[in-house]
Amino acid sequence: MKTFTTAVVFLASLATALSAHAQSVTTELDVTAGYSSDARTWAGSTQLRSFGEIKPRLRFNVEGTWAKRSVDGTDAFDAAFPYGGRVQLNEAYVEYSAQRGAFMANVRGGQYRSPFGIYSRADHGYNGFLRAPLIRSEYYWSVNNTMLERGVDLSVGTSHLSAEVSIGTPGDNNHEFKRESGLGSVVRVQAYFKNVIVGASHINTKPYAPNPWERPGRMDFSSFDVRWSLPGVQFRGEWIFGQEADDESKTRGGYLDTIVHTRFMGPVTAVFRTEKLDWHYLETNENGITTPEDWRGLRQTVGTRVRIPGGLTAQFNVLRHSELVAYKKPTAFDIGLTYSIRDNRSKRSKGDQ
Amino acid sequence: MRKHFINRLLPVTSIFAVTLAGLSLNAVSVDLAGLKGTVLSGTKPESSAVVWLEAPNGPQSAPPMKTIHQRNLQFTPHVLAVRTGTTVDFPNEDRVFHNVFSFKDGKAFDLGIYPVGATKKVTFSVPGVTRLFCNIHPGMAAYIVAVDSPYFSASNNDGTFAINGVPSGTYKYHAWKPGRDVLSGSVTVQAGATLELVWK
Repeated sequence: MKTFTTAVVFLASLATALSAHAQSVTTELDVTAGYSSDARTWAGSTQLRSFGEIKPRLRFNVEGTWAKRSVDGTDAFDAAFPYGGRVQLNEAYVEYSAQRGAFMANVRGGQYRSPFGIYSRADHGYNGFLRAPLIRSEYYWSVNNTMLERGVDLSVGTSHLSAEVSIGTPGDNNHEFKRESGLGSVVRVQAYFKNVIVGASHINTKPYAPNPWERPGRMDFSSFDVRWSLPGVQFRGEWIFGQEADDESKTRGGYLDTIVHTRFMGPVTAVFRTEKLDWHYLETNENGITTPEDWRGLRQTVGTRVRIPGGLTAQFNVLRHSELVAYKKPTAFDIGLTYSIRDNRSKRSKGDQ
Repeated sequence: MRKHFINRLLPVTSIFAVTLAGLSLNAVSVDLAGLKGTVLSGTKPESSAVVWLEAPNGPQSAPPMKTIHQRNLQFTPHVLAVRTGTTVDFPNEDRVFHNVFSFKDGKAFDLGIYPVGATKKVTFSVPGVTRLFCNIHPGMAAYIVAVDSPYFSASNNDGTFAINGVPSGTYKYHAWKPGRDVLSGSVTVQAGATLELVWK
């Protein structure tokens, strides 16, 4: 309770202080309730965020979350937030942007999502999927989508070609899957041409603590990602590979999403995902014999998101998955309902008219 | 002989030219006035309204470029009024991707996802209200109101509007705001003309 109160007071104070001086402030609140048939899991989550411009080109973003599931050990609702059952400060940063012609530079300082692959909250949390991809889930020893960095992030380039470097220490607030503290880096390069965006990322950081067998070493992953837009249809995917600690364990996997939203679908978006996860490691038994072990997880998801007037969004997913990643049942459904409210305050006049 | 004829003709043509110029000046120097007013929702000033006067044969000119910014996960301005034929820029000024689309009514388009620094364009050639959304960020929404008239204005934060450079006369007016019926009526535009529009 003390943590809850402290976090709420801190967030409110920070948002109030920034709001008082800001030219533009947006405050959003999302409340989600969900149910998964796989483990008969109930889930609830709340995200409160405030962002805007303190001065032209100087922006801030503060986000607090609370999320809880009735069952541990399932990856249902792993969309973009950890399920610790307590209020946590997720992102809190300021950033400054500069632009000369087509060239842009942006420097960000504070606590922010690891800029690895497809990492935006909105990409994972609100487009129709109620679970993170297996390879981005906190359960499978890869680069999960709740990872946070505390440090400095610099990105430079144009809209067609840009590079981003983050130097910092882990700021994970996930109560089960935190990395050890220590300096790490994330590098991302991105290219955009016509309707295609491709990216390559690399992260080298301290491993999870405790990692499965308390192995030393570094977490080291690379990824390639692509997004391709056609009118009404978006394809996107990631392929991630690397090690979560020393080189005796390797994780690799990826996913391909298809997101369909054509004119005739109105408020309905249809989503499809196929994905794979391979986890390979060397296990040494009590006789000192080392044998390779391989785990493989497969999952297919069909789902929909429906925007309902009044700030409501309903999401429904049907999943078919292999034994490794299923909690109990090979076929399951997830359903979630999100209520969102937003408040915009701006000191700007309507000069853009 | 030829030179003499031209010399005698010059004063005549000069007078004719001056007369034509005068006629021409009279033709364009119509009595231009303006219309000012206030838009209210009940008793509150309405900041998201568009007011326009019917003038299908109004003077033609190249419509200026307009812009709707995507910044801080919102469209700015929230309501944009344009003349038909106007091209609107949609620059992404955020650090995240956006996907601007409009399927509901008005101009239908889907710009796909594009990153910070990139700009896409759409031309609004038919009158109507186009509702904009971002398929990635459900909290983002805006309106573009395309009117077949050079005489239009969007209301300011205090609910006031001003339409300038309107030839004096009587016009049909229309006023629109999100989620409400269009208000219509007749107004005489002359020096000092005002109009108060109220959605009850």
